[in-house]
Amino acid sequence: MGKHRLAWYNSIYPWLLLLPTLIGLIVFRILPIAGSFYLSFTDWDFLRAPQFIGMDNFREAFSNPSFLQVVANTLLFSALYVTGIMIIGLFLAVLVNSKVPGVSFFRAAFYLPVVTSAVAVGIIWRWILSPNYGILNNFLQIIGINPPFWLGDKSIALFTVSFIQVWKMSGYYMIMFLAGLQDIPISVKEAALVDGANSRQLFFRITLPMLSPTTFFVLTIAIIDSFKNFELIYTMTRGGPQNATNTLVYDVYLNAFVHYRMGYSSAVSFILLLGVGLITYLNFKMKKRWVNSEY
Amino acid sequence: MKKCLIFMLLCIFAFITIFPFLWMLLNSFSSESHIFRLPPAFWPDLLGTPNMWDNYRTIFKEFNFDRYSFNSLFIATLCGIGQIFTCSLSGFVFAQMKFRGKNLIFSTLLITLMIPPQVTIIPEYFIVTRLNWLDTYLPLIIPSFLVGSFGTFMFKEYYETIPSSLVDAAIIDGAKPFTMYYRVFIPQSGPQMVTLFIITFMNNWNDLLRPILYLSDERKQTVTMALTQFQSQYTAKWNLLLAGGVLSVLPLLIIFIFLQRFIIQSSVSSGIKG
Repeated sequence: MGKHRLAWYNSIYPWLLLLPTLIGLIVFRILPIAGSFYLSFTDWDFLRAPQFIGMDNFREAFSNPSFLQVVANTLLFSALYVTGIMIIGLFLAVLVNSKVPGVSFFRAAFYLPVVTSAVAVGIIWRWILSPNYGILNNFLQIIGINPPFWLGDKSIALFTVSFIQVWKMSGYYMIMFLAGLQDIPISVKEAALVDGANSRQLFFRITLPMLSPTTFFVLTIAIIDSFKNFELIYTMTRGGPQNATNTLVYDVYLNAFVHYRMGYSSAVSFILLLGVGLITYLNFKMKKRWVNSEY
Repeated sequence: MKKCLIFMLLCIFAFITIFPFLWMLLNSFSSESHIFRLPPAFWPDLLGTPNMWDNYRTIFKEFNFDRYSFNSLFIATLCGIGQIFTCSLSGFVFAQMKFRGKNLIFSTLLITLMIPPQVTIIPEYFIVTRLNWLDTYLPLIIPSFLVGSFGTFMFKEYYETIPSSLVDAAIIDGAKPFTMYYRVFIPQSGPQMVTLFIITFMNNWNDLLRPILYLSDERKQTVTMALTQFQSQYTAKWNLLLAGGVLSVLPLLIIFIFLQRFIIQSSVSSGIKG
């Protein structure tokens, strides 16, 4: 951009043109965040005025075993999701980065679940995983495996739901990794091949380190994304069986709009916000350690 | 040899990805008794018979999915238009103008993108009730006309690459800010507009939380919301539910098939270079 431009706009113009954005930002984002912070210290059923009760909501949350389970569920879901999505996303990206016939078909196919709503995905998989009539369990019985209740057994339901979220979102991460892979100069790979590197060395010694800025970016996105599982939980399990798949985002909805405990629910939502913020912050802190910044 | 292995792996993953969709499609042509047959029949009984569209006819006629599809289409289209308008304008301002607090506002815009909607939904619900917007489409549409983080980011990135000679020429011609935006920047942003429209359309077509909170009139429901309601009311009507599922996926599938380069480009441009 030119630095010594004629003054082509009056200083009021940026604000004038930004007016919609500013109103939207304040009314639908900043005020609600501040409001949620305030409400987290209140008891509020939405009908009467909020009562200020200090830290009681937070105290209640952390002394409630079922809330602690919700936190544990959320963290386990995130860990499974982020691990799954990073490995499968990268694996698919490497596969579709090679020159085989029909590769653009495969890229599109893997991206298909990304554009599908979580509600439709939830319905499809509930039907496939249905204990009696589902195709998966019937198939497993034919090959002699005694199938579990994928969504009904509280020890595995959370794993099932995380798997389905990974299934849905892998294509998105594949595309991001693919862009990173294609940014690596071919000359570097050729030089390594001339030096006698085999393909495993090429991947672990050249590709992976040079991909680290992309990996960092993808990891950041994946972590933030891993908390956004409301639609899938709502469609597939509604937090059940026995709280086993209840996560923070679903717990906020449940307490606020089913039990009408707006204050307590705001406290839960603020715990969620702090969690997302903290993990993102730690991720940036550790960036130096493993991201190859010379590239 | 190696290519063979890669191709086989691709086929396995493609099967895992596509089979669930195919299974939904096939079963949406089953009658209610056939769909619960054991072991599950691969081929649906209605497919190819004169009654093959029965499930679809039922969900359209008896369960108002024609109305819901129209509602979803209406909301998602308006949201897409709103985002094009507001994001191109704010992207233009952030890319081309200098003013105090610019970085602060821009960072706030991006940071609020990462916050899960559940964090802001309770006060937002309160604001919506106070504005008397409950049971209208306004809370689903109006925010899209005001603010968009991803779109603003995308337009800003793109508008920073517009050659400054072009901007300078317009300045010399005496272009005022709005003319500049309208005559110089807007005509160059076709692909960005298409991308943003598609992304917004998809997000709003698929949205669940806000419709279930803000819409209670049965006639006003969106497809996505109606599916979840249908699912909890008629637990045994899987043939109809799956037909509804197909219906909710179909518009996005069509958009995806024809415009996939815009969609895929957006998931790359959402930040690799930022």
